[in-house]
Amino acid sequence: MGVTDTAAPALKLPAAPSALARLLPFLGLLAGALLLPFSGNDYWALIATRACIYWVLVSGLNLIVGYAGQLAIGYVAILALGAYTASVLAAGNVLPALPSFAALGCAGLVGAVFGVVVGLPALRLRTFYFAMTTLGFATIVTQIALAWQDVTGGGIGIPGPEMPAPLDTPWGYYLFCLGAAALCTWLTANIAGSRFGRALVAVRDAEVAAEACGVAKPRLLVQVFLLAGALAGIAGGLFATLQSYITPDAFTFDLSLLFFIAVLIGGRGSILGPLLGTILLTLLPEVAAPLAAWSTFLYAALLLVIVLAIPGGIAALLDFRSRRALPEGRAVQPRPEALATLLGHHREARGAIELRGVVLAFGAVRAIDGLDLDLRPGEVHGLIGPNGSGKTTTLNVISGYYRPQQGSLTLAGAPLPAGRPALRAPQGIARTFQTPRLVGEATVLQNVMVGATVEGRSTFLEALFQLPRQRREEREMEARARLALAAAGLAGLADVRADRLQHSELRFMEIARALMLRPAFLMLDEPAAGLATEEIKRLGALIRAIAAQGTGVLLVEHHADLIFDICDRVTVLNLGRELAAGTPAEIRTHKEVVSAYLGG
Amino acid sequence: MTITRRGLGLGGAGLAAGSALGLALPALAQSEPLRVGWLAALTGPSSAPAVGFNRGVMWAAEALNAAGGVKGRKVEVITRDTQGDPTKAVNATQEMISQLKVHAIWGPTNSGESLATTAIMARGKMPNIHPCVVNSLIDPKKYPNAFRIAPSNIQWDDAVRNYTTGVAKAKKVAVIGDTTGYGVTAANDSAAGFQKDGAEVVYKANIDSTQPDMTPDMLRARNAGAEAIVIWSVSTGMIARMLNTRAKMGWDVPFIGHPSLSSGEIAQLIEKPDYWKKVYCIGYRSCSFDANGKLPPRNEELLRKLAGKINLQDTLLWWVACGIDAVNLIADAAAQTGSTRNDDIIRYWNGVKSWPGYYGEYSWTPDEHNGYPGQDVVMSDASSGRNGAFALAPGYA
Amino acid sequence: MLASILASGLAVGAVYALIGITYNTMFATSRVMSFTAGQLGMLGGVLGSLFILRLGLPVLPGLVLTLAACALLGVVTEIVAVRPVLKSLDQHLYVLSTLALALMIQHTAALEWSTEPQPFPRLIGLGEGIWEEKYWLPVAACAATILGLEYLYRRTLVGRAFVAIAEDNYAARALGLPERNLRMASYALAGAIGALAGFAGGQLLLAFFANGPLLNFYGFIPVALGGLGNNRGAVIGGLALGLFQQAANFLVGGIFSSVAVFTLFILVLLAAPQGLFGAAAARRV
Repeated sequence: MGVTDTAAPALKLPAAPSALARLLPFLGLLAGALLLPFSGNDYWALIATRACIYWVLVSGLNLIVGYAGQLAIGYVAILALGAYTASVLAAGNVLPALPSFAALGCAGLVGAVFGVVVGLPALRLRTFYFAMTTLGFATIVTQIALAWQDVTGGGIGIPGPEMPAPLDTPWGYYLFCLGAAALCTWLTANIAGSRFGRALVAVRDAEVAAEACGVAKPRLLVQVFLLAGALAGIAGGLFATLQSYITPDAFTFDLSLLFFIAVLIGGRGSILGPLLGTILLTLLPEVAAPLAAWSTFLYAALLLVIVLAIPGGIAALLDFRSRRALPEGRAVQPRPEALATLLGHHREARGAIELRGVVLAFGAVRAIDGLDLDLRPGEVHGLIGPNGSGKTTTLNVISGYYRPQQGSLTLAGAPLPAGRPALRAPQGIARTFQTPRLVGEATVLQNVMVGATVEGRSTFLEALFQLPRQRREEREMEARARLALAAAGLAGLADVRADRLQHSELRFMEIARALMLRPAFLMLDEPAAGLATEEIKRLGALIRAIAAQGTGVLLVEHHADLIFDICDRVTVLNLGRELAAGTPAEIRTHKEVVSAYLGG
Repeated sequence: MTITRRGLGLGGAGLAAGSALGLALPALAQSEPLRVGWLAALTGPSSAPAVGFNRGVMWAAEALNAAGGVKGRKVEVITRDTQGDPTKAVNATQEMISQLKVHAIWGPTNSGESLATTAIMARGKMPNIHPCVVNSLIDPKKYPNAFRIAPSNIQWDDAVRNYTTGVAKAKKVAVIGDTTGYGVTAANDSAAGFQKDGAEVVYKANIDSTQPDMTPDMLRARNAGAEAIVIWSVSTGMIARMLNTRAKMGWDVPFIGHPSLSSGEIAQLIEKPDYWKKVYCIGYRSCSFDANGKLPPRNEELLRKLAGKINLQDTLLWWVACGIDAVNLIADAAAQTGSTRNDDIIRYWNGVKSWPGYYGEYSWTPDEHNGYPGQDVVMSDASSGRNGAFALAPGYA
Repeated sequence: MLASILASGLAVGAVYALIGITYNTMFATSRVMSFTAGQLGMLGGVLGSLFILRLGLPVLPGLVLTLAACALLGVVTEIVAVRPVLKSLDQHLYVLSTLALALMIQHTAALEWSTEPQPFPRLIGLGEGIWEEKYWLPVAACAATILGLEYLYRRTLVGRAFVAIAEDNYAARALGLPERNLRMASYALAGAIGALAGFAGGQLLLAFFANGPLLNFYGFIPVALGGLGNNRGAVIGGLALGLFQQAANFLVGGIFSSVAVFTLFILVLLAAPQGLFGAAAARRV
């Protein structure tokens, strides 16, 4: 198999920035923040403290909006809840008065609970619905604060918790809040850099692929809602102390908008961007005091300009690396020899995937009409047929996106639950998509690492605090991802943003992502579409090599040559039914196939 | 120059150039301007009062400066538009204290903001005059720097309650507020006051001011036997809808309550001018016409001075007068003590007795910072507005 | 009492339903839920008052100008906030771009019109008590809109093209339908419907800048209840919401009625995410 012989130009790609280089902007900000007290100006202390407190909230919200892509517009509701919880408990309106720190902790707990309550609709509803429900929630929280006068003081409000010395001075409190902000930066960066963060982004940009990789969206989102809610609740408690007094009218929609827009002008999927966005939006009204009347208008205009002109936000502006041109004339050079290490101890296939009498109809159209199909370990099974014959639909039934009306789907004799795509990855079933589904803003390496999400054992808490097991797992995953990329021929592009890759490279990236699972079965949906002849050859060799490691491959393809070259068995579909099945040689001479499909 | 409500510039927003440098040197102190911080909700909903105050503030500062300033020192008003947002008010307050180094602060103009800024001003020992009604805002022990130039809620409440039970002779009242913080609190306080006085509160409600139809609430108030409806709301839309509903029901119950009942906006929203009859709102003796249609002499003179300079048609005279008084009280403190040190200003205010302002005659002592004379809070005939002043409601001499 | 709840409930319900139809009309050709729907309703009231009361135009030209202005705004929405983000529909950038535009509209109204509610003129002067025009006008406008839309969708070529695009975007384009022009037309139509909602409900809601977010939320509930893109569902949902809200206002009072409406909304949505009357399910894979 002459796949590694072509003389490819040596790839010279910018190296990934070192950990220190990535930390540098944060350390710079922290150093600047630590120098601020030497100014001695209490006004700056107030504004800087405000920025810190807002960041405590925005850092968590960033995971929801910037990473998970859930448009929580009304997050001021949780800030209000936290502020009232801390103030009411510290004042002793309901229970005996608690110390301020305990009250702050309770605010975090209440925030976490309501973070999930507000978030629940996001688990089932579409984006716009979620935006609306958070908005509605923001209005009823203030209504309840008004009505529940005995506890909240109604419209008169309630004093915020007072901090004990030495936190009762402007600068003492500032340093405390700065510490909280720095801690939140670290915690949320830990989540963002873990498999949880990668899964969030995958849910946002490639939900279908995330499901195929076994990402359990509800569980993942609930964990993030808990964290973001807790941070927002704590921010509320800190806010109440800073304001010294809270009334319902302090929790304006403008404030909610500020949080939301800070994330977006910062840029999705970034920590530094939203941090800068928060600082910017806190300072902006102070600098532009004479424009106060137009402030909301300016926020809105800013939002519109960002959405239309720089959807990537500040983070994209600062991403100098991705503006350097990638070398021209790159060629994908798979290294099947890496597969032995990669797939060496893959999941033992316990038996074949079997479809029996599967029927799937969309309305009156029978997309699959009584299909039998066996997919055996170590075999390459081709699935061909004209457009609309049910090839991809069959693949979608196997990977759980469609629930057939009749028939059975089993793996080694045990039924595979229909309509539950997230349960396929744990069974060792991986797939690629006709149009590559990827996270454009993440690196190729990060995209590929999503493929092994189901194998992560460390918990959300371990990831939050970077505990040893998490760090070890992370190292192992990265090593495996680099191996998968080497096998797929993309080793040199690991640290490049995925949306900069060529179409053909994306196809191989999807294969690498699927290989991360060390799958027992791999389903490829038209992997050769859009590839050059030479690349198709290399793809064929790669697929054979994968099957040689014991993985069963289902290949949906139009390229008849590729099918006949590498398949062990071929099924031909027509109108959702099997037209023919057999070895490539049998199919090649099958009369109906030849006349109907191979065109003579 | 005619200052009108629309298109008004944020006058005086220019920063004092040297002030950011910090401590004013004693040598400079004699010539540096007297800096008055003005926290005003000039835009956003419920900006009408601050817009009125602002006209008085700008006029007073101009008049002082035209007369040579305060002992040769220019009066400089530094305005920050808080938009009614407590957070913006807190920021602006701290900026005025630490950055702009103002000598005294006038405002904020609504209670929600004032609740948040009062503690901060107390910490900075900043001499402060404000017109906010919430009772707890004034406490000479906790906030020795804060002085009220307007009636407290208690004084408002008293005036409304006394009129309702004493003049309108209503034994059964309906108390209605809107769903804002102010509306909920004021309605609760008012209802409690009525009950303490032995009147029966037969119906109490908070209505969402955007609610398009007021019939259900009005019907329930009538069915409960209400003889007067007491209103606590700044929402002109809600008030006008209730007036229209009252007329449609053919019910001649009096409306008594918040000064907003007299807002000029209502005139446009009611279907017939007659619907505005039997509506009595809180007013002030200083800004009320007597039987001959004359204001008290001092304010007749003020009207002459303001004529052609300040538009009074779309605002209230007492707002403008109160703004003038606030600036003059600060200037007077500087003039009388020859100092702009905060404790000198506060000491001077603590000794003010029957200080003759346009809006009222203020008296403060070290133990009482509610400076407005309670007997000057009266009820006005809401629909009698002219030049921002009103006729006294029936029953007043 | 009951009569009064019914009259005002149906009236505001009809306004909500019309805003719901505004959402649906924009959604049909673009798959975009636009935050400008409520602002169009707000502008219907504000512009109507501006043209008729401030500028002194007769009712009919005032109505036509209001509808035309909002139709134009609809087209502007399509060009500025929708078309540029259609390429990446699944990133939901439209939520942000339409939100930004909606806020700009609302803030301009606050600054240039008034932050206080302004009067809206009586249009016809027919009816008294619960039969006053402010109660029946929105219902009549809603009925007229529904009939007009049914006629448009069933009997006219343009209307059928709308339906075709709403049902299958790709197929419609493959058939050679001028997708972009149809989308602009549907945004203009939505603008006019939103303006009609605000105009017909003007005497009830007054010409008030803050009506925008209110209508946005209460106009969205019928869409969510009735199912996305389902106009009949929106009408039933809107009227039901109006009645429920007025009954809640009456029974539990202002503060708790919005809590009651919101709670019911969340519960129904969690129980039936596709709405009570169903919506077209989108193909995911």
